[in-house]
Amino acid sequence: MQKLGDFKLPHFFNYPPYFTLQPVRDTREKQVQLWKDLILDYCRTQKIFVIGLEEEDFALFSNPVIERSLSHEARAAFLSALVSEGRAEWLDKGHRKCLILWHRVQDWADIIFRFVKDNGLEDSVMTVEEIRSGIESRGTELHGIDRTILMRALRVLEQKGKLAIFKGTSADDEGVKFSM
Amino acid sequence: MRRRPGIGGLQTAAAARDQYRLVGENVAKIRTDMMKEQLATFRSQLEEFARKHKNDIRKNPAFRSQFHEMCAKVGVDPLASNKGFWAELLGIGDFYYELGVQIVEICLATRPHNGGLINLQELCILLCQRKSDREAVSEDDCLRAISKLKVLGSGFEVISVGKKKLVRSVPTELNKDHNEILELAQAQGYVTVEEVERRLSWTSGRAIDALDTLLDEGLAMIDDGHRDGKRRYWFPCVSSNSNPVADT
Repeated sequence: MQKLGDFKLPHFFNYPPYFTLQPVRDTREKQVQLWKDLILDYCRTQKIFVIGLEEEDFALFSNPVIERSLSHEARAAFLSALVSEGRAEWLDKGHRKCLILWHRVQDWADIIFRFVKDNGLEDSVMTVEEIRSGIESRGTELHGIDRTILMRALRVLEQKGKLAIFKGTSADDEGVKFSM
Repeated sequence: MRRRPGIGGLQTAAAARDQYRLVGENVAKIRTDMMKEQLATFRSQLEEFARKHKNDIRKNPAFRSQFHEMCAKVGVDPLASNKGFWAELLGIGDFYYELGVQIVEICLATRPHNGGLINLQELCILLCQRKSDREAVSEDDCLRAISKLKVLGSGFEVISVGKKKLVRSVPTELNKDHNEILELAQAQGYVTVEEVERRLSWTSGRAIDALDTLLDEGLAMIDDGHRDGKRRYWFPCVSSNSNPVADT
């Protein structure tokens, strides 16, 4: 079984036709499904939050072993399929960068909620940076989370009245006051 | 001296006929009795054999296949009914019915990938992976189970393409052209239009037409990624190691 780092690649990754967009609808649906699962799986295990659309941006876009790589059209098709399912979002109008949501924003919000409860931080104040890289979040899924996703999840909680976000003097010292 | 017609003559003739009939019936009865006796002996011998080798029949695919062969030679079908003494003795009916169900499941699970045509060998491997209680399953067993599935009229069929056997679980009719392409594809797992034309001496229209049908049926996948720029048609049903189901 071929591996990428410590990631076990599925069999279809070594089967050349999966690197060409299939013209027949049923076959293409199956193909897109396999790729979507693979991309989410890989990003989750490798903690990748943003992927660019260029071939060299993402390890899965080509397989040197069988000398195949995905065309631009195929790369866009697979990512668009993720976007339409709410598992990814384009970060720019030109569709060059894509935010991968292996947890949906709502799920990230739940993870933050549990993190706060587990650490007894119900009434405390933390900076956004602390949540991403502080001691408390070490070893949890929140450690190293993409800032964009984190802010979106925090806003979900803010709307529910679980916390308040306040601005510091610059972007990197935004703070959060939990009130759960 | 000619016998004259008369009541005595008629009675003598009737008595003679009766005598003949009685003798004939007697002979037939003796024959049937002997036959019955032989059959009973044969049956008890076969039962004894089956009882003695029950474990071998259940566990050993080679033995099982030879047992079937023997039964076929003497005109017994141990799978004909689940009620007979075979079933009670061996549970062999259940064995094949279970196998049949698992074959259907695998065919359905892999259908999106291979278009409903699966290599018998691969089917066997997948079956063995699934059967947790490790009774080995041979290709011969698969074929028997599939032949039982025909009763369902669901279109399960085994087709021979070149040296390989493929199990078809969709009602697609493959014509001779399609079979020849599949046979050609066995060498590398794929073909190109050029190759089909050259090896089978077809016109380009004929090759493209047949390949398009196979594509539409979900039996083929295109691959435009090779350096030489020639489109390859891959056939998951003849390539091993391409099956996503094997991952799990």
